[in-house]
Amino acid sequence: MKALCALLAGVAAMSLGAGSARAWSLEEAAKPYKGVTINVVGLDRPSYKIAQKLTPEFEKATGIQVTWNIFPYEDTLKEETLNFVSNSQQFDAILSDVVWPVNFADPGWVLPLDHFTGDSALADPDLDMKDFFPVWLASFTVNGKLYGLPFDSYAGLLYYNKSMLKAAGFDGPPKTWDELAKTYAPKLTDAGKGVYGYALQSARGETQTADAFARFLWPWGGRFIDVANKKVLVNDPKSMAGIEFRHALLKTMPEGIVSDDHSQVVEMLSQKRVAMITEWSAFYPTLSSSPIASDLGIAPEPKGPDGAYAAFGGFSYMVSAQVDKQHQDAAYLFIQWLTSKAMAKPLIEGGAVVARQAADTDPATQAKFPNLAPMVETWRTSVVPDWRPQLECYPRFSDIVSDWGSRIELGQVEIKQGLDSMANDLTGYMKSSDCWGKSNDPEKAMATYK
Amino acid sequence: MSDLTIEDPAPQMPAVRPSRWEALEPWFFIAPSVILLLAIGLYPTIYTAVASLQTWVMGMSPPAWGGLGNYAHAFTSSDFGGAVLRTLMLIVVTLPVELVLGMMIALALDSPHFSTLRRLLQICLVIPIAITPSVVGLLTQLMFNEQLGIINHLIHGLGFPAIDWLGRPAAAFGTVMVVQVWEWTPFVALVLSAALSTVPKDIDEAALLETERWWPRFRDIQLPFMWPGITAALVFQTAFTIKEFDMIYSIERGGPGTATETAVMQIERMAFRGFDVGLASAESILMLVLSIALARVYIRVFYREMD
Amino acid sequence: MNDLRSALLRALQGLGLVLTLVIILFPIYWMVAGSLKTEADLFAIPPRWIFTPTLEAYADAIFHSNILTTLLNSVIVVACAVALGLVVGAPAAYGIARYRFKGRKDVWFWYVTNWMLVPVVVLIPFYLTASKLHLINHLVVLILVYQVFIVPLIVWLLVDQFSAVPIALEEAAQLDGLSRIGIFLRIALPLVKPGIAVSAILSGIFAWNDLLYAFILTPSPNSRTASTVVLSYLGGYVIPWPKVMASATLVSAPVIIGGIIVHKYIARGLTMGAVK
Repeated sequence: MKALCALLAGVAAMSLGAGSARAWSLEEAAKPYKGVTINVVGLDRPSYKIAQKLTPEFEKATGIQVTWNIFPYEDTLKEETLNFVSNSQQFDAILSDVVWPVNFADPGWVLPLDHFTGDSALADPDLDMKDFFPVWLASFTVNGKLYGLPFDSYAGLLYYNKSMLKAAGFDGPPKTWDELAKTYAPKLTDAGKGVYGYALQSARGETQTADAFARFLWPWGGRFIDVANKKVLVNDPKSMAGIEFRHALLKTMPEGIVSDDHSQVVEMLSQKRVAMITEWSAFYPTLSSSPIASDLGIAPEPKGPDGAYAAFGGFSYMVSAQVDKQHQDAAYLFIQWLTSKAMAKPLIEGGAVVARQAADTDPATQAKFPNLAPMVETWRTSVVPDWRPQLECYPRFSDIVSDWGSRIELGQVEIKQGLDSMANDLTGYMKSSDCWGKSNDPEKAMATYK
Repeated sequence: MSDLTIEDPAPQMPAVRPSRWEALEPWFFIAPSVILLLAIGLYPTIYTAVASLQTWVMGMSPPAWGGLGNYAHAFTSSDFGGAVLRTLMLIVVTLPVELVLGMMIALALDSPHFSTLRRLLQICLVIPIAITPSVVGLLTQLMFNEQLGIINHLIHGLGFPAIDWLGRPAAAFGTVMVVQVWEWTPFVALVLSAALSTVPKDIDEAALLETERWWPRFRDIQLPFMWPGITAALVFQTAFTIKEFDMIYSIERGGPGTATETAVMQIERMAFRGFDVGLASAESILMLVLSIALARVYIRVFYREMD
Repeated sequence: MNDLRSALLRALQGLGLVLTLVIILFPIYWMVAGSLKTEADLFAIPPRWIFTPTLEAYADAIFHSNILTTLLNSVIVVACAVALGLVVGAPAAYGIARYRFKGRKDVWFWYVTNWMLVPVVVLIPFYLTASKLHLINHLVVLILVYQVFIVPLIVWLLVDQFSAVPIALEEAAQLDGLSRIGIFLRIALPLVKPGIAVSAILSGIFAWNDLLYAFILTPSPNSRTASTVVLSYLGGYVIPWPKVMASATLVSAPVIIGGIIVHKYIARGLTMGAVK
């Protein structure tokens, strides 16, 4: 394995024809940073578990010490923002959700990656940017510059219980949302027995905004905002159609879904209390070790009237601009190693999801991990990088969406009234925080990477 | 409550004609704590008051003069208003319940018989007061779970249908109230029980000779001695509830939606999730005004009544 | 008739006592039992009242999380915060109890207001100031900020204690030539020892239990306090309930034990002024 790496690196170096006299190696590159301790932010999710497990390999090869700082997702942005605002230099490798790059890049808190990739002493010639899925690179590109290396990358997938579907007379999963709601879910729901067709994680916070709201905008042609015309679109007829659809779907969901987060719906599927959920591709290891492992079916998310737009989310690693050069370089070496082509396979084998094309499309790996094929298909055909808008004021923006989104789902307000209020609050906030001028359009970057 | 002490002609140091130095002497004892509290309490409060007049979103823009905009927003937003209302609701509903239940427990502790049981209960009453509120929140999450929780199982065993305790806004708010009552009734009971023990034995015995009916005895003999305890319980409970964050946050972060979000939780969300320091500061100042007003009302109204 | 009535009352009293005891203790039992169960036992339907206890969850909590570090952090914070609170609070209480001076009532009211103070008011500036001084994640920040409620509580409790010290003792000491400070340290302070113990344990319980300040001011995994660590398990894809319950038991055991030790004095302490 190591020999192969070295060989590949050598080949890459030769083919690049760069002026470097000898092949690049991590050991060699890390020499000046021996003994440096870097702080890395992580989540309590499978990708980071295996990453932590593999970290000693990096420490052994480089002499750089890695400290993992694990936070619950809902606290991560808070911790990182406070770290930057207070310039407390707690973290060297910064974890960025797909909706945060502009928050970190605009104030200059993180460094653009060309800062490192242009440095032949640091840059691994075998980094092979083209091997990352284009949509992932685009997502972390702000004003034409790439800031993050993708890690823990998700696509929304439909997970279902094959036996339950079969018992209800279905040979395969639903292809469209319409089918799911009108044909599948009613037949699979038996409220008296506490069994339901579908469950949608809707807890207050980013789960409500991303999983429960955005998921029902795009497939119906709805959008959050139109930056060019400075318009909020959450209450236009197309968006409303999607949210109305969501509301009708509640009949086939367990009660109290509005308080349920990822862990609860996954639990429901694995306890056979629901037949279908739409969840991130990262949940495969959790579900494959649950009681329904042998019944687990995985498919791309259903299409809507306006086409296929699956949920899109995930993370990348960036380097803090506030720490000293030693730590920056050491952190870069770490994230470069973690997201490298060579690491992709061991990471996947350990339960991670990565955005590396070669590893994700490898037939042998795909045979072992049935979440990969639909995930790759989704990334290639049915995701948009601005599925949630990239705004500097996104935290409050998302909070407003989540606030009215849950009120609508709880039935505390009429759908139209709720969406109008949401639009009203968003419009006011976008204006008062001067946020229209502080947005990023990752879609523009797509062309660069395709 | 020490107002009583302040009013009463408590013995004091024999004052030789107070010189200027003499007048400064008490401050020698008090000053350290006052300086400390000024530094960690007053200075930040002024800081917050200034920030409340600024447009300031952390990381997005440096603080800029914003006038009363934040206050206008706080007053008009249903978000903050709702959270304040819920906090007040929590006080108004749980306080009387805690008082009544606490009174019943105190009376039961005061009666003769079951001495072992009474002693045991006296010890156990301290548990809900002492236990970490975030642990109480987690336990609530586990026990009130709709499908797997023990509460619904017990209810089902008694022949009632299961209740979705945490999933529906009204039920979730009710659950929070139930847990709040569980957490703080023992405190009220302990305070009232201590107050009840101050009823002089001879008066009580004389009254018992006259009538054995418990209501007149309670109303005319026991209750008057309990007023100070009731007041103490009210002041403490109001303070605890208005500051409530830990326990409810640990149940489901104020969910479903914002159904169980208190004022402090809403402000924390604005400040540390939305990063809107200006707005959160304005809301904090409003809460400060509210709590000072409540403290004044309690001290003026209740302590006046006593003397 | 009267016999029947009193028998009924007695039965009611017994029933009430037992019911209250059960309601108070059941959640505690459920927590401890949960910490000794496997995941399967914990969520079994119907619930398993009889099960084979296992210490796996405790091992998991102790060896696969930093709960011991956070418990140690809590011990340090509580000990220092209470000590500081006593050092400044006890003299203040003595001053208020023993002197009549202008502004006395206002000072006392100000302490009470601090007790009612909504923590978020000081939280944001405290965070920003502490971060400028690079004190975020340092326990000293918590030790300081907890004084906001510790000092008022200690003053509140000790004012009454000091007032109850017989004045004759102090007068005698004064005649012996002891200074006011000497009187405070050698005569008054030793006499209110029980009050000091109660106020120390009570304020210690509140400091130990705080979630909000610790949550914001000491977020890093190694500087967390015990009350926040139990929440850190909830962020994952799977919630390890037995481990959560084991941690919850470890975190709440010290305060429950502390509370039981002083249970006799808690109510008396808190109501001293009012009940006297």
